[in-house]
Amino acid sequence: MIDKLYKTFVDATQNVFSLMLNLSEISDHPLESFECEDVLEVAIGFVGDLDGEVIYRFPISTSLNMVEIMSGMQFEQVDAFVTSAISEISNIISGNVLNALSSSDLQCNILTPVLLKPYENSEDKEYDLKTHTCINTSIGELCIEIRLNRIG
Amino acid sequence: MLKTKVGVKTKNNYKKGVNNMLWKDKYELGVPLIDTQHKELFRRVESFMQVLRAEDNWDEKIPQLNETLEFMKRYVVEHFRAEEEYQQSINYPGYEAHKEVHNGMVDYVKEVSKQYENSNYDEQLMQQFGGRLLAWLINHVAAEDQRIADYALKKGVNGND
Repeated sequence: MIDKLYKTFVDATQNVFSLMLNLSEISDHPLESFECEDVLEVAIGFVGDLDGEVIYRFPISTSLNMVEIMSGMQFEQVDAFVTSAISEISNIISGNVLNALSSSDLQCNILTPVLLKPYENSEDKEYDLKTHTCINTSIGELCIEIRLNRIG
Repeated sequence: MLKTKVGVKTKNNYKKGVNNMLWKDKYELGVPLIDTQHKELFRRVESFMQVLRAEDNWDEKIPQLNETLEFMKRYVVEHFRAEEEYQQSINYPGYEAHKEVHNGMVDYVKEVSKQYENSNYDEQLMQQFGGRLLAWLINHVAAEDQRIADYALKKGVNGND
């Protein structure tokens, strides 16, 4: 289950990056933890057959590069525009994951993206399905942390 | 006159005043009515962003932003309606779900506009709106609308006849 979930998130990210950012070549590897000083962290809550949250960690440079590709404009720092665009992309990737899961008879919904302060999120809960992935692209890397419980 | 650092990115600088940087040919569905409206929508969103991201004083930008925002509120509804009519004309099976996505966006635009007016034209609110709108629009046209074109192609119907 965990391997399938991991692959579903990687495939969804690849699909979204290809369509929205024209980035077709990405690679992934599992991580124990993701160390990067300046990150934008977006948490997406999952409810339904899978319950918990998924945290997307975008280094600042990756975030700025993504918004620059989408807009054709120059962005020098993270502001409300950038955080909102990156939150929406996290939402879109999660939406793609939901579609893929529904074809495996897993019905879930996602909650509105929440912007976290870096590394402030607590990790005191136990999760059945817990894994990290680091995704590398030509414009930088990002990390996805999956923390979900199978319900029912 | 708005000062802007917006333009087409080249290796080391920006060419100013080039329109429709956001639009990409791969977004074309092959349905002239919808493609024309998509291009117009992208052009308007781009104009909106150029004003939004210009370095000028926020108060100076408010009238122009409000004007573009009002246009977009009307145009988004008009475009979504045309797109939904097209989907019905080809019996697109994802019509209901697609309409729900459209309705969600229309509600979001209305809600943000209301909050923006009530906040006396708060800049942060509009920057947030701009970021979400950009990502939403690109995904919607590049992925969700593309499924309509794929269906039309598969069924040999394009609804243009």
